[in-house]
Amino acid sequence: MASSTGTSIVVGASSGMGLAIARRLAIQQRKVAMLARREAELRAMVATTNESLGRTAAFAYVHDAAVADAAEPLFARIEQELGPVDELYYVAGVMPDVALDEFDLDKDRQQILVNTLGCIAWGNAAARRFLQRKSGRIVGVTSVAQDRGRLGRPVYNASKAGMDTYLEALRNRLWRHGVRVTTIRPGFVDTPMTAGLDLKGAISADRAAELILRARDRKRAIVYVPGKWRPIMFVIRNIPSFVFRRLSI
Amino acid sequence: MSALAWRDEQVLGWGMAVGGQSRVLRPTTAEQIAESFADVRARGGSIALRGAGCSYGDAATSNSHVLDLSRMNRLLAFDPETGLATVEPGVTVRDLWRHSIVRGYWPKVVSGTMAVSMGGAAAMNIHGKNNFALGSFGECVKSFDLLTPRGETVHCTRESEPDLFHAAIGGFGMLGCFTKLEVQTKRVHSGRLRVHGIVARDLEHNLQILEDLRGKSDYLVAWLDLHAKGGALGRGLMHRAEQMQPGEDPEGLRFLEPGLQDVPAKLFGAVPKGWLWPGMWCALHLGQVGVVNWLKFRAGYREQRHSPYLQTHGAFHFLLDYVPRWHWMTKPGGLIQFQPFVPHQHGARVLRSIIELCHKNGHVPYLGVLKRHRVDPFLMTHAVDGYSLAMDFAVSKRQHRRRALWRLCQELAELVLEAGGRFYYAKDAILLASSFARVHGDAAVAQFRAQKQKWDPGNLLQTDLSRRLGL
Repeated sequence: MASSTGTSIVVGASSGMGLAIARRLAIQQRKVAMLARREAELRAMVATTNESLGRTAAFAYVHDAAVADAAEPLFARIEQELGPVDELYYVAGVMPDVALDEFDLDKDRQQILVNTLGCIAWGNAAARRFLQRKSGRIVGVTSVAQDRGRLGRPVYNASKAGMDTYLEALRNRLWRHGVRVTTIRPGFVDTPMTAGLDLKGAISADRAAELILRARDRKRAIVYVPGKWRPIMFVIRNIPSFVFRRLSI
Repeated sequence: MSALAWRDEQVLGWGMAVGGQSRVLRPTTAEQIAESFADVRARGGSIALRGAGCSYGDAATSNSHVLDLSRMNRLLAFDPETGLATVEPGVTVRDLWRHSIVRGYWPKVVSGTMAVSMGGAAAMNIHGKNNFALGSFGECVKSFDLLTPRGETVHCTRESEPDLFHAAIGGFGMLGCFTKLEVQTKRVHSGRLRVHGIVARDLEHNLQILEDLRGKSDYLVAWLDLHAKGGALGRGLMHRAEQMQPGEDPEGLRFLEPGLQDVPAKLFGAVPKGWLWPGMWCALHLGQVGVVNWLKFRAGYREQRHSPYLQTHGAFHFLLDYVPRWHWMTKPGGLIQFQPFVPHQHGARVLRSIIELCHKNGHVPYLGVLKRHRVDPFLMTHAVDGYSLAMDFAVSKRQHRRRALWRLCQELAELVLEAGGRFYYAKDAILLASSFARVHGDAAVAQFRAQKQKWDPGNLLQTDLSRRLGL
């Protein structure tokens, strides 16, 4: 497999899907730069990964995805330390609890910074280099939540929709130059971010990672994880507004 | 203290064969526990401490007040450098491993079900399939806070309060309530274990395998077909498991994820396992357990041929969680478990006599589990340098059958006590007060009574078990 050598960057790698992706990449003999905000957790995850494999495959880089300006210099540093990067996975995301009558700008800003602007910063840094090399893959994890604006989490929907549209534009810019951009829209996945929610039929983070890497290998553009969410979201996307605004989904 | 809302509820042991009506309170803070102590003392009642209610017998039941600690279940801290977890007493084994496995740690000692609570595990000093190697649950407790009926919270470590530390662990909730525990977990390098199934022809073969492998394996446990007679008496299937070394199982890294460790909820991906128990109920009540056991034993040969195989920690350890509500198959009478601990030099003789006596009396356990143990430093310990044989008996609703089963178990207990054996209070339902000192020795019982007098002079903490043992 072409992807079994080289270096990947995983932003948001200390838990959930990001961690599961990073571990699968490490098993596949790739070098993995694991990025996350919480240093102790990140170092523990990197240590576990390397100890289990009996070799050094994962490297810890402490990074707050909300600090967009740090992306470009950190990308350069990672390439300097680990060699040319040919894959970027943007998996960082925040989804704070929001009450139905709550309009808290601090929570909203954090979601835009991490979910949208962080993805743009890392996407730009990768796109600039991949375009020049005429190769590389960018995988961004958005959400089924981006398909509609819903009453529960307006800014989470908006931030993921922004990210999704950015990735689509990036794909249209880069695909003709040999750079693949894949958008992943996960449904219910059992991760620390969704720990407090009662999600019926959630898949494991490792299963999600398996499907995400399969989408990467098949050079897919937009993938729902798991696939059953495509017809479900097709229906939800096509509910007319005068009906949708009366529903509580 | 009218703020505390005690509710009348039926509180049974996990085996559903003992227990009754109680007044129950579910505190969420240590302050509420202290309040409830004062409240009940003022009313002149007693309190039984209860965790997840997984003790088979009467260790967490009482006809007075029951303090159910299952809602005090916050995992307060976990150090990813050392694997030390700080937990409240209601945190379950499942809560702990779900948090630790992703960080590359697994609890050192786990029971056959992941439902048990940390407070209960410490109070009953539970053991797992690695008792011969790593000892009991108490040995991986680094420290705890104990709220005593006197109203003070004592922070205990082995060094600071050696007497209380070694008496409260395994002290079946008699000295105080654990409000916080520090529990050590262990490093694992894969989410999977290497497992061998080994068919054992008879009891002696089983014991021989335990002796041969106990220095070489991380986990050893044997399922016994107790329906087999004659030359095949005590035959069964031994499971041996080893942890992976770094680099040995690279794929196993993926399995360091809670979602891949949980026991699957469906059989063959389709049948919800929550509905298997009625089938098992039929097998039990139609007297077909012998046939089921024979089939399981024969299937062991196939497993042996396909050994070793890789299995997740969760799937290996939590056999009792494979079929949810399986104990309902023993309804309406419920079940009791009889688990004698026998010193190794008497192992073969005593265990053989026990199984033969069961056959003679027509009370054949539907399940038998054999394990190897070692001694531990706790005052009320059940551990011996030897073997334990856990036997599950279905209890009849008919009083004369029930009494006959109790008599049989007491007869079996006599065999065990004569050989210097012991009993495990998380399982026991039949031991008599006269046996208490014979299990632990007069000196240990006197010491435990002195600790009880010191920390709970008003005898506030009582359970059906403690009254049965005449503490």
